[in-house]
Amino acid sequence: MREFAERLFAYEAAAATPSEANVPVAFRVCEKLRHSLTTLAGAAGFHSLLLRALALAKREAPSLGTLRVNAAGSLEDVAPNRYNQDAEGGTLLVAHLIELLFTFIGKALTLRLMHDIWPDASFYSLNAEGTQKHEPQR
Amino acid sequence: MNRKDKVTINKLPTGVPGLDEIMGGGLPEYSFNIIAGSPGCGKTTLAHQFVFANATPEKPALYFTVLGEPALKMLRYQQQYSFFDQDKLPGSIRFVNLSQVILEQDLDAVLTEIIKQVEEVSPGVVVVDSFRTVVRKAAGATTEMDLQGFVQRLALHLASWQATTFLIGEYSEAEIRDNPVFTVADGLFWLYQAVERNSIVRKFQIMKLRGQASVPGLHTFRITDAGLQAFSRTLGLTRQRSKDVTSRRLSMGIPELDKMLGGGIPEGDSVLVAGSSGTGKSALATQFLAEGIRQGEAGIAAVFEERPKEYAARAGTFGLDLVTPQNEGKLNILYLRPLDLSVDETMQAILDAVQKIDAKRLVIDSLAGFEMALAPGFRTDFRESLYRMISALTGIGVTILSTVELEESFTELTFSTYSISFLTDDIIRFRYVEIDGQLRKVMVIVKMRGGDHSKDIREYEITSEGIVLIGPRLRGYQGLVTGVPSQVSLSSQKKPPLS
Repeated sequence: MREFAERLFAYEAAAATPSEANVPVAFRVCEKLRHSLTTLAGAAGFHSLLLRALALAKREAPSLGTLRVNAAGSLEDVAPNRYNQDAEGGTLLVAHLIELLFTFIGKALTLRLMHDIWPDASFYSLNAEGTQKHEPQR
Repeated sequence: MNRKDKVTINKLPTGVPGLDEIMGGGLPEYSFNIIAGSPGCGKTTLAHQFVFANATPEKPALYFTVLGEPALKMLRYQQQYSFFDQDKLPGSIRFVNLSQVILEQDLDAVLTEIIKQVEEVSPGVVVVDSFRTVVRKAAGATTEMDLQGFVQRLALHLASWQATTFLIGEYSEAEIRDNPVFTVADGLFWLYQAVERNSIVRKFQIMKLRGQASVPGLHTFRITDAGLQAFSRTLGLTRQRSKDVTSRRLSMGIPELDKMLGGGIPEGDSVLVAGSSGTGKSALATQFLAEGIRQGEAGIAAVFEERPKEYAARAGTFGLDLVTPQNEGKLNILYLRPLDLSVDETMQAILDAVQKIDAKRLVIDSLAGFEMALAPGFRTDFRESLYRMISALTGIGVTILSTVELEESFTELTFSTYSISFLTDDIIRFRYVEIDGQLRKVMVIVKMRGGDHSKDIREYEITSEGIVLIGPRLRGYQGLVTGVPSQVSLSSQKKPPLS
């Protein structure tokens, strides 16, 4: 899952528009997922998922300690200088969020939903273990 | 107005096996429908089946979830069903969560959000799950007139946008009266589930369906890995064409018995073979099937007291091969014994088997076993359902032989404990009799609707060749039908000469 999240991160970092350049990649990824998943699961649904993912990620990456999830389900950094765009922590957070989706609705459906957000991305080609292809079929 | 000038209402497949027949051909396109029932009765699954059966990229489905089951969990559970096609998400089926709007805003905002999504997506199908939540919210903040107005506008808008709509709600029947939601709806579908003794009984009713004739009454349904499956009270046979009556007689596989029957069983008859345990009812049934197969007529045996292997093995002891015809698709031995089957479900399994191999002969062995295989709550419907199935099958030319076990009385000759002679054309009665210090077996043709038959009481034996009639009619006895005859001299039986 970590590798999958890293691929997503790399894709998102490369695809950033000038206005997004200063926004941490983890924030951008979570925000894109929020827009899509709030439609599906409601704001409260996405809020609770992200909260759980953050709690899991914080155990492994203390640098995420300054992050919060606001009522709308968006990430906020209460001390921006401390988080400092910790790419590894951000990757962990996204990895846990996607892992939760895998757990609840399965890999195939999660990847379909992600494909809707990142239709041209190439990071789907490998799964969490980096061995098996499971590209969504269209 | 000529029929050709009238608007044609397209019927959409429900995606639920058996339900299209109950609906009268499918669900009317652009209709505004309600699926109601208690929690856990299958409302959401029914809506999902409809959605997956009809949603396409060009005409997608919009599925609004409102406060009830969290959408992620709903997807988690629903994808376990075989009809759940992941390829349809999110392109053809889009889930939209309205919980926040319901919690924070009023009915107008809900309507605005639904309209916004509908205009954006132009869906063919719209589902609001659960609409009851919307109504509850309305009840706390608006008048009944506001709610009526909301439902009216929602129905109008969705119809104008050419969407077929389902509102799902946990309603009780007491709420039907004066409820604006039910007034506006074109279709009202009610799902019930009840525990009867140790079995769950699920039933479906169409309370209202504008524009077409549906099958009235309560229909049973089952929820399996494939979702809902409905079993029409008419067993889907209402549109089957009756077969022309033939004068053909079918051999029972026992030449002497055929003679007693006046040449055999008339094709399309329902025959009841009644007798106590061990009198050879099943042996006769297998001989009947084997003879059919020998003559190129496929057969079905619905067995309830033996497993198919045992049934075929027992036939083998009479020199009848029921294994080869099974492998060749000419015979199907159905073993139907789960204890919570509904009558219609069992009948449907039999009908499917009959239609699959175009069977001409059907054996039901036995009626008592059949009844016991049903959930207790369905046993009261047994005779009625049996009547419907037998009428339908014999109507298309299938000849049915049913066995029924009777408790032997040594004072009278009973025919059946089921009072089902009204659904049998012919009755063959087996019974034990005590003769010369031996318990022997006799048979008699009690009834043949189709014509004359032998009145003889004949002795028979069960040998390695099955049932074998021995000798002419039993003479010299009186009271054979009671089982304890007394011997009379043949001379005393002679009629007195006419004076």
